[in-house]
Amino acid sequence: MKLDTSGLNSIVPFSGTDDGLEENIHLAVSSFQLPRTTDFDGFQKKAVEMVKPAKGTTTLAFIFKEGVIVSADSRASMGGYISSQSVKKIIEINPYMLGTMAGGAADCQFWHRNLGIKCRLHELANKRRISVTGASKLLANILYSYRGMGLSIGTMIAGWDETGPGLYYVDAEGGRLKGKRFSVGSGSPYAYGVLDSGYRYDMTIEEAAELARRAIYHATFRDGASGGVASVYYVGPDGWKKLSGDDVGELHYKYYPVVPSPVEQEMVEIPVS
Amino acid sequence: MSRRYDSRTTIFSPEGRLYQVEYAMEAIGNAGSAIGVLARDGVVLVGEKKVTSKLLQTSRSTEKMYKIDDHVACAVAGIMSDANILINTARVQAQRYALAYQEPMPVEQLVQSLCDTKQGYTQFGGLRPFGVSFLFAGWDRNFGFQLYMSDPSGNYGGWKAAAIGANNAAAQSMLKQDYKEELTREEAVQLALKVLSKTMDSTSLTSEKLELAEIFLSPSGVVEYHVFSSEALGKLLTKFGVNQAASSAE
Amino acid sequence: MSIFEYNGSAVVAMVGKNCFAIASDRRLGVNLQTVATDFQRIFKIHDKLYIGLSGLATDVQTLHQRLVFRHKLYHLREERDMKPQTFASLVSAMLYEKRFGPYFCMPVIAGLGDDDVPFICTMDAIGAKELAKDFVVSGTASESLYGACESMYKPDMEPEELFETISQALLSSVDRDCLSGWGGYVVLVTPTEVQERTLKGRMD
Repeated sequence: MKLDTSGLNSIVPFSGTDDGLEENIHLAVSSFQLPRTTDFDGFQKKAVEMVKPAKGTTTLAFIFKEGVIVSADSRASMGGYISSQSVKKIIEINPYMLGTMAGGAADCQFWHRNLGIKCRLHELANKRRISVTGASKLLANILYSYRGMGLSIGTMIAGWDETGPGLYYVDAEGGRLKGKRFSVGSGSPYAYGVLDSGYRYDMTIEEAAELARRAIYHATFRDGASGGVASVYYVGPDGWKKLSGDDVGELHYKYYPVVPSPVEQEMVEIPVS
Repeated sequence: MSRRYDSRTTIFSPEGRLYQVEYAMEAIGNAGSAIGVLARDGVVLVGEKKVTSKLLQTSRSTEKMYKIDDHVACAVAGIMSDANILINTARVQAQRYALAYQEPMPVEQLVQSLCDTKQGYTQFGGLRPFGVSFLFAGWDRNFGFQLYMSDPSGNYGGWKAAAIGANNAAAQSMLKQDYKEELTREEAVQLALKVLSKTMDSTSLTSEKLELAEIFLSPSGVVEYHVFSSEALGKLLTKFGVNQAASSAE
Repeated sequence: MSIFEYNGSAVVAMVGKNCFAIASDRRLGVNLQTVATDFQRIFKIHDKLYIGLSGLATDVQTLHQRLVFRHKLYHLREERDMKPQTFASLVSAMLYEKRFGPYFCMPVIAGLGDDDVPFICTMDAIGAKELAKDFVVSGTASESLYGACESMYKPDMEPEELFETISQALLSSVDRDCLSGWGGYVVLVTPTEVQERTLKGRMD
């Protein structure tokens, strides 16, 4: 069966032609109500349990000669159950920046959108695009302020700014790392295996895209919680571009075609009377 | 005086004999005989059925031959009720081995384990020995086709041709005389039938009184145990010319 | 995570007209990690009797070996094959033997009895038998299998249609389960013939 992958398509291209921002966008994040309870830790634990984050994911990103490649699978799972095979885990923050999603879906989606707003505001205020360094720091600072409250996010912020390609890993514990090569999620060990062995800085875009696709494919093969579609994005001087989105169900047989095994014993037909 | 020594199975007599064990062997001397012959491409077992009443309704296909596992079978001479116990132990042993090692039990190991049981009854007091002799025919990966003979003492040995039961001494010497190396299975059948026909007490050899079984490798390399049907056996007897009155041949 | 879900599995059996089919997935995992994609969960007891064992892989193998042990001895002593009903009772008894330290397996038994009447049944880990006329399922994908079978099953299917149905039910079910899939294995048994087939499936 063909997967319905329409959900993975990019939405509207970004345009700066809105007539005006709404007055009361004060970044809407300082207004979360804290629970009125004496046992804050206990409440916290239960709350986290309740919105148990979908942990199964494979995402990866790496910097090479031509820019940054960002790639991810598309499976969402709840325990052993596959709730979707077409989740968009690469979030388009702006035309030059992408974020990846691992951990809690709601947390990732909300804070990436929030980051998108902040980046746009920065752009309007300073008349220049925010750097990847700045954007990732913005996110890391927010996440740090919610540290210990049960947010579940493991993300990579990848993009192109005035200094060239940029890649940061940011997580809900407040960690922020700059690097050339990252993979996040339950399938990351498998993706790292392929990525580390196949990586060269001077790859062409095609080679890099294929490496990313292969890494995601191998992760979906080994990791039960990863699967669906392997999406590959490239970020260059002209912004991001989606290069491919392949159903790994078909990709497997493309990488490993089934060779018809030699017949050991001929099967005897039932005589038709 | 001898009663002092033969009432207990586990006590040696002053001459160094175990009377109960010898009496058990005596019991087998009266039982229907069985002959086994090792061939190049298999093992052949023939047995003489003692009870052949028309009224008898048996639940099994064979009376003297028993399959122990896919690769081992045995022929029995002696007290059948004793034999049933031992056959059951042998089957369980073979399956236990297969369960533990996921491969068929080596034939000699199986024979030995059974003979250990037999031996136990000659040493530990209060019980009598098993009044059974066996011929084991089998195949394993290490030693190919094998034929073993065991007696109530728990003694066993590998043979190229062996006889147990009534007139076994006569049969054994006849086998010794006529056995040739590298027999084919068919020649082995012929030899076994010939010897049995000459040593049997009954005057004529008919398929009702006989049982014939073979162990061999199928073309695909799988061990097979095959018992001849009465009709097939009858044809063989005619072919080898041993179905006439045995005494007339003497 | 439950010990039943440690390795992941999907087993299903269906009845057709004078025939039956039994199918399973091929994955062996350790929690979410896929270790092998050629794991056997369906075993032949004799030409017309098969058992599929879902659950913990080590118990699957041990239980199968013990069942072979018992069936071999039965065959030697009785000189005939076991009837499916008899075999189901044997499995049930063997499972209940371990009532307080069970095998973490849920068996699915399928066979053709006298006059080629199909028989299927399933059990929990301690041997509670459940007979069915249509289909039985087991494993981590059992919920989706129930759904698929419930909607795809028709009574009195011919062998070819039965094969198609059980294959589709299996493949679509495991696509909703993280812990099973990675290909399928189907055995189709008719009075005259046994067909074994491996199915290509999604490998994620």
